[in-house]
Amino acid sequence: MIAIIDYKAGNIASVINALESLGQLCVIASKPEEILSADGVIFPGQGRAGAAMLELRKTGIDNIISQITKPFLGICLGMQLLGGTSEEDETKCLEIFQGVCRRFPPTVKTPHLGWNKVELTQKSPLTANIQDGSYFYFAHSYYVDGPEVQIMGKTSYGFDFSSIMQKDNFFAVQFHPEKSGKQGLRLLNNFCELC
Amino acid sequence: MLVIPAIDIMDGKCVRLVQGKFSDSKVYSSDPVEVAKKFEKEGAVLLHVVDLDGARLGSPTNEEIIFAIAKAISIPLQIGGGLRTYEQAEKYLGNGIKKIIFSTVAVENPDLLSRLLKDFGSERILVSVDVKDGKVATRGWLENNTCTVPELIDLFKNAGVAKTIVTDISKDGLLKGPNFELAKQFISAGFRTIAAGGVSSFENLKQLNKLGCFGAITGKAIYEGKIDFRTAQQMAAYKNNLAKRIIPCLDVKNGRVVKGTHFKELRDAGNPVGLGKRYSELGADELVFLGITATLENRKMLVCLVSKIAKEITIPFTVGGGVSTIEDIKNLLNAGADKVSIGSAAVKSPDLIKNAAEYFGSQCIVISVDAKKKGRDWKIYIKGGTEDTDIDAIEFSKQMEKLGAGELLVNSLDRDGTKKGFDLELLKSIAGSVNIPVIASSGAGSMQDFLEVFQKTGVDAALGASIFHYGEIHISELKRFLSNNNLPIRL
Repeated sequence: MIAIIDYKAGNIASVINALESLGQLCVIASKPEEILSADGVIFPGQGRAGAAMLELRKTGIDNIISQITKPFLGICLGMQLLGGTSEEDETKCLEIFQGVCRRFPPTVKTPHLGWNKVELTQKSPLTANIQDGSYFYFAHSYYVDGPEVQIMGKTSYGFDFSSIMQKDNFFAVQFHPEKSGKQGLRLLNNFCELC
Repeated sequence: MLVIPAIDIMDGKCVRLVQGKFSDSKVYSSDPVEVAKKFEKEGAVLLHVVDLDGARLGSPTNEEIIFAIAKAISIPLQIGGGLRTYEQAEKYLGNGIKKIIFSTVAVENPDLLSRLLKDFGSERILVSVDVKDGKVATRGWLENNTCTVPELIDLFKNAGVAKTIVTDISKDGLLKGPNFELAKQFISAGFRTIAAGGVSSFENLKQLNKLGCFGAITGKAIYEGKIDFRTAQQMAAYKNNLAKRIIPCLDVKNGRVVKGTHFKELRDAGNPVGLGKRYSELGADELVFLGITATLENRKMLVCLVSKIAKEITIPFTVGGGVSTIEDIKNLLNAGADKVSIGSAAVKSPDLIKNAAEYFGSQCIVISVDAKKKGRDWKIYIKGGTEDTDIDAIEFSKQMEKLGAGELLVNSLDRDGTKKGFDLELLKSIAGSVNIPVIASSGAGSMQDFLEVFQKTGVDAALGASIFHYGEIHISELKRFLSNNNLPIRL
């Protein structure tokens, strides 16, 4: 059973739909105990970092994330919240990954919206059968400026930014696999198989 | 970001100074023309040339060599050093020099600066800012006559300056990195900013690129071989793999797609879910569903439909039609829509856009801009194009961006349904005025129209309706065609 963390940050319907289409059982979780007892955890999210962190603190979820030993996948804002701090609302985040979450500079249109290529820079079980340079769907204004060692995939938008990160059992993607057609489903399936 | 090699000329030779001191110079070549040719050969797209004697004496002195460089190469030059008068500017700009640089001396005479900008355009008149120990260095000025960076920014804005070159003199020639904070100040104030002074490593270039610098000038580091110019340019090159999107639009009324479609294999061509799925399989990058009757009952039906679509489709889709409250947006997003398109309500209550962007994030707020030419401008129309608001379409687009809209869906009421091609003029004007993605809509009649709109206007996506529904253009064929014409397309 995979727990999808619901912390009132954007829609989770698409993630649930995608998992169901893969035949994966999932449960919507908003309490720490529901999250800790799952075989895997997906941490989606859209919207603002400040409000999201506030909600995570209110529910006590912020304290248990680092205790999770099962496979964990942050998506979009979920990835950004796993970093150290975010320039958005000057927010202190969950510090699973190192790095600062920054806004795209004015040299590129922001939000970064649409299909962009992901260049796989390191091997990861998350991208096992995914072709280097595949397109995924992005919709975000901030990105995680993280250390090379934790970066598994990069995307070019004026410059290279980290689009896939991993540290131990924690995985994160800046794009929306649930909205990225077949490639996205393949990636989600890879994650489910780890759980 | 551009990497711009610097050629500083003193006594007719190519030199570098340390921290702006004329006494501390090093000659790198006695032939600046050859140096310029070499940079051109290595792929430079712009050269930064400074007449150091001119700067010292307060009047251009190495003009002959500068004109010789301009003649010898085909890439543009930006020239600085000693420029003080309108006549000097005219002499350069009228004789093949593309851009000239006025130093902060321009502060002394803001009227001259305004006049230059007005007569020659902000692309050709650059202003350089030289800062030393946090204060703006004003060279020929009395020493106590200093001003602060924020004061300077205000002055530049009033004069109409668009491009600045920022140098921290205390960093220049030391190969220890530029003043990033200084660059950041000008970038956030909205100037296209070129950083100079101390740019000396790939890491510096990477960081300046991330800050949003338009360019970086580097001299000593290339001359001394600390960085290889070609590699530097490659590293800082503006890499962007974002694909241009093709979006079919489905008009929905009472839960059914309006207008028939050519998909004979679909048993129910009026079913939005089945049709959407088919388009997704054919390679559409995204879908737009527009509810065309905006009654309460229809809005509820739309939400229900969105849940069904979200279950079947694994590409993003936008939903619009009568969206007018935060509650409407929430319902559609929670049902699985990725973005919501807002039309008349954005015109009537701009606050809705601000609140929605804050609450849900800009990335899911699309504004439907319905524009029609009136005289020389375009005006916004609402209520399905029936009511003229007299609001300027360009100004409206900018206002929406400011309020937090994440994308604009631009409809041309003049071209809608004509198949005469997209309204390139309108789209170019809007895409050039905002820094958010723009979707072109209305008027597509051929594959060539799609190619043109991407090549000529700077839009990010193009939308079509009946042209896809009736099979006049097949999406997969269109995408191959665009890709063959070197556009970034997801195949």
